[in-house]
Amino acid sequence: MTQTTPAAEPAALTGAPAQQRLPAWRLLAANPLTLASAIVLAVIVLLALLGPFISPYGINEIDVSRQLQPPSAAHWFGTDDLGRDILSRVLHAIGISLLIAVCAVTFAFLVGVAFGTVAGYAGGIVDMVISRVTDVLFAFPVLLLALAIVAIFQPGLVTTVVAIGIVYTPIFARIARGSALSVRSSPFVQVSQTMGTPARTILLRHVLPNITGPLIVQTSLSLAFAILSEAALSFLGLGIQPPTPSLGGMLFAAQGFLAQAWWMSVFPGVTILVTALAFNLIGDGLRDVLDPRQRSLIEARRSR
Amino acid sequence: MRISPAPVLRFLGLRLLSSAIVLLGVIVVVFALVHLVPGDPVRLALGTRYSPEAYQALREASGLDRPLLVQFFSYVGNALTGNLGVSFRNGGTVTDILLGRLPATVSLALVGIVIALVIALPAGIWSALREGRVSDIIVRLTSQLGVSVPDFWLGMLLITLFSSVLRVLPSSGYAPAGEDPLGWLQHVILPGLTVGLIAGAIMTRYIRAAVVDVAGAGFVRTAVSKGLPGRIVTFRHILRNALVPVLTIAGIQLATILGGVIVVEVVFAWPGLGRLVYDSVAARDYPVIQGAILLIAAMFLLINLIVDVLYALVDPRIRLA
Amino acid sequence: MNRRIPLLATAAAVALALAGCTTGTGVDLGGSSSGATFVAAIGGEPDQLDPHKTSSYFSFEVLENVFDTLVQPDDQLQMEPALATSWETSDDQLTWTFHLRDDVTFQDGSAFTAADVVYSYERIIDENLSNAWKFSSVASVTASDDTTVVITLTQPTPNLLSNLGGFKGMAIVQKKNVEDGDIATAPIGTGPYQLTEYVAGDHITLTANPDYWGGAPKIETIEYKFISEPATALAALKSGEIQWTDVVPPQQVDSLEDDSSISVGVTPSSDYWYLALNEAKAPWNDVKVRQAIAYAIDRTAIIQAVSYGTAQANQLAIPEASAWYTEYDTYPQTADLDTAKQLLAEAGYTGGTLDMLATSDYPETVTAAQIIASNLEPLGITVNIRQPDFSTWLDEQNSGNFDMLMMGWLGNIDPDDFYYAQHHTDGSSNAQKYSNAEVDAFLDAGRVETDQDKRKDDYAQAAKIIADEASYIYLYNPAVIQIWSPKLEGYEARADRAIRFKDASLAK
Repeated sequence: MTQTTPAAEPAALTGAPAQQRLPAWRLLAANPLTLASAIVLAVIVLLALLGPFISPYGINEIDVSRQLQPPSAAHWFGTDDLGRDILSRVLHAIGISLLIAVCAVTFAFLVGVAFGTVAGYAGGIVDMVISRVTDVLFAFPVLLLALAIVAIFQPGLVTTVVAIGIVYTPIFARIARGSALSVRSSPFVQVSQTMGTPARTILLRHVLPNITGPLIVQTSLSLAFAILSEAALSFLGLGIQPPTPSLGGMLFAAQGFLAQAWWMSVFPGVTILVTALAFNLIGDGLRDVLDPRQRSLIEARRSR
Repeated sequence: MRISPAPVLRFLGLRLLSSAIVLLGVIVVVFALVHLVPGDPVRLALGTRYSPEAYQALREASGLDRPLLVQFFSYVGNALTGNLGVSFRNGGTVTDILLGRLPATVSLALVGIVIALVIALPAGIWSALREGRVSDIIVRLTSQLGVSVPDFWLGMLLITLFSSVLRVLPSSGYAPAGEDPLGWLQHVILPGLTVGLIAGAIMTRYIRAAVVDVAGAGFVRTAVSKGLPGRIVTFRHILRNALVPVLTIAGIQLATILGGVIVVEVVFAWPGLGRLVYDSVAARDYPVIQGAILLIAAMFLLINLIVDVLYALVDPRIRLA
Repeated sequence: MNRRIPLLATAAAVALALAGCTTGTGVDLGGSSSGATFVAAIGGEPDQLDPHKTSSYFSFEVLENVFDTLVQPDDQLQMEPALATSWETSDDQLTWTFHLRDDVTFQDGSAFTAADVVYSYERIIDENLSNAWKFSSVASVTASDDTTVVITLTQPTPNLLSNLGGFKGMAIVQKKNVEDGDIATAPIGTGPYQLTEYVAGDHITLTANPDYWGGAPKIETIEYKFISEPATALAALKSGEIQWTDVVPPQQVDSLEDDSSISVGVTPSSDYWYLALNEAKAPWNDVKVRQAIAYAIDRTAIIQAVSYGTAQANQLAIPEASAWYTEYDTYPQTADLDTAKQLLAEAGYTGGTLDMLATSDYPETVTAAQIIASNLEPLGITVNIRQPDFSTWLDEQNSGNFDMLMMGWLGNIDPDDFYYAQHHTDGSSNAQKYSNAEVDAFLDAGRVETDQDKRKDDYAQAAKIIADEASYIYLYNPAVIQIWSPKLEGYEARADRAIRFKDASLAK
């Protein structure tokens, strides 16, 4: 089952990507959409970093007497069912969302690329075992896998990171394997092998640099989906635990008040949307430049 | 496009074998997971006030007192003969319970995929044929928006709009199509729209890419240079050849929705497979969890297999190996 | 019915029901009826309809109208005759003789006799079903003739009646129905309504039992629909699609009461919610630390946030409406930080973390936990909230893996139900590991005391010590909230959440 999504098989990467990478950022900046997304993302990151300092109220300042107030000058995003300021909570939650997304994708990247590269380069039994395990993980519904992992360990920040990380690991593993496979058979690696260069050196020096293109793209896209996954987990009560604010958790609370307090669901939702959109658009821009054929895997896996 | 049957059969055989191995792996993982997850189905079924004897009696009745390995092998043995066991919660067979969820699951999947195709086909093709123009950028941006929106939030927005404000559609629940066709339609619209809009956004992007791909291929350029009219080129050459990737992505999206879109099903109280798994996890109903995930994985593998075979049969560039 | 069951009437929109799942395939017993159909919306689907095996409230909302018990709670939750018309006890209080009605038939036409009572009780006892503990003092159940059942006991049991009739989990079932394996989907009882159709995932239909011993009910057909979303249920009621529902968020009670097109029933229930600190762990084993927390929490804010003022504040378990109610108001309704700080200083506690176990299946615990976290912050206590699902919650509670937890007990009737299992040193539900010899003595005495006044006093004494020493920090009795169409007459919301339609009628 190496061809889950046929379009996802990477185009053969022959030995030329080095000169292609050089002008990448310039190409990126030339795309107005990508540039705009990068700016939006920068603003989001800045808000996340400054969140704790610029929020007008404490994130857990509970005052039941001012519950469910619509947006006003005092509370730009209104208040929730416990009278907390939604703007302050959103500002705080962005940072946590980003932190989880970045950590989870880093985890998936490191583990996935390590296993995938080894599988693709070593071939044989190693490849078979790793590929089958990847297949099994793929056949599993994403959210269920995350749900089970969270249930086994205690819900919380670290567990959420690990759960999302594990879910996205097979994607990186498969891309890395496919790319490593094609790089392995390329002339310059074969020449290196005949010259007696140790496998580790070949992996680090030749194989990895040549698969960075698709991986960078995948990283950006994965960040978008990691944000969505974290929101879904927290929505189900399995991600970030209250009273720590999380965008998904705020949406869960908002469910009981859809008709009475639209602001409880709209502001956290828009925040998730804008953040994920920024990552997706940047990923899109990167893909146009770095790797035109690589989007399918992760999209096929969303929302399962 | 002519392929002799032998490699096809060999390919099929290998793929089936590989799928069987993966399914076995899924069973092992699910079995391990359900037993690793804390929470005791017996205790949950009894409430909190019961005697130790009552606990022991129910444990034995559920077969949970046996060693784990024995439980595992008896499960796999039974599963091979099509016996997926009996629910801890109500004593119904897992097969019946899964079958009971199929109408809702299939309804949502079909409605979702139809909505998605209605959106994605025209939008994807139109956008591809106008690559780089403003309309293309608008389609790409909109589809990107659909890919980035949290599905449950989209569901909540639709509920707010159609149920709370306009009061024209029910916000949750399900009605069987056979008994109450109008009720079925009213109930399926909002979850179908939620799933369909997102699947549609994803598919638009695929279809656009596929059409762009084909439009740049040699034979299309030949056709154009031969002076064939644009519409004929579009329909006879480009779309026909873009059909396979379109089928592929439609298949994968179908598998995804059939496998249960948990959060959407939770938001809309939709009695599909995803909600079944979710509820069964809450009740620690091991046989149902295992059966449902097995079914989901099997559907996923089957649709993938069909898509791959289709792909291989239609596209001579893919070799069967 | 001394157990926790999903209480979705007060839950937020997502019904994370422990019971909400399809039960097998549809069952159609035929017998469709004409006349006005009355539609009731409940928050989720029953897991199964075997009254002896289910623990889901959704099941009992249906089964209440299908089955009977020997005795049953009246409006004041005192036991009144049902299948048994009268009973007497021997002088040593160890033999109870019940005289049964002789005009009762099961809904399939077969006669109801004392043998059915013996069969039902022996089924619970012999198969060790979850309610077997209610028979813990029962030595034997025998039928001396067709209309007489004799129960012999190993010790006097003044609350035997509420054990036998407190809820339909102690229903009299039919042997044939059980042995056919039909009871889980097509139960047959002696009650006012007969189950005639069950379409899994969609609805359950009950039809009036014309031969009911209490007289044929006026409403011909009741259809139960499963709606977990309050907004949907409300819209359906307003449009006339349904005539009754308990899927009502408390925050809407105020506005609904002004709406003349809807009848609202808000009744204080005999449920209660509490906090418990793990006394197996320091510093919570120190009574002063526990009291400090009882002083520091803002009960008014908690009640407002979880119930929008519909719940009744109570610093003990038993609600004001009950005959067993005891007055008690040691703790302030709003936070008294000075007293709390002083108590902590006396205990020598300088602050730390508190692992608070809530559960996402009961959203009120998560809401209250957040308020408590902010209440305890000034005391230097950092509250870490966990909200696993209820199954994991039970595990964590049982293994003592918590500092504080919040939970509710539902459907209690007898004071023994309220206090013994929870606070006796050997109590089966004493997860907080409370132990006080004086309390044990009162609770043991109450179990066998046959003088009502003395018995009440035993429990009052025990309850005061329990609250003084903060074994439980009692918070409130939630309200039963139900809404129905004004056309529904003769129906009242009951404190024990039993949904009885037998005396109701539907105006044209």
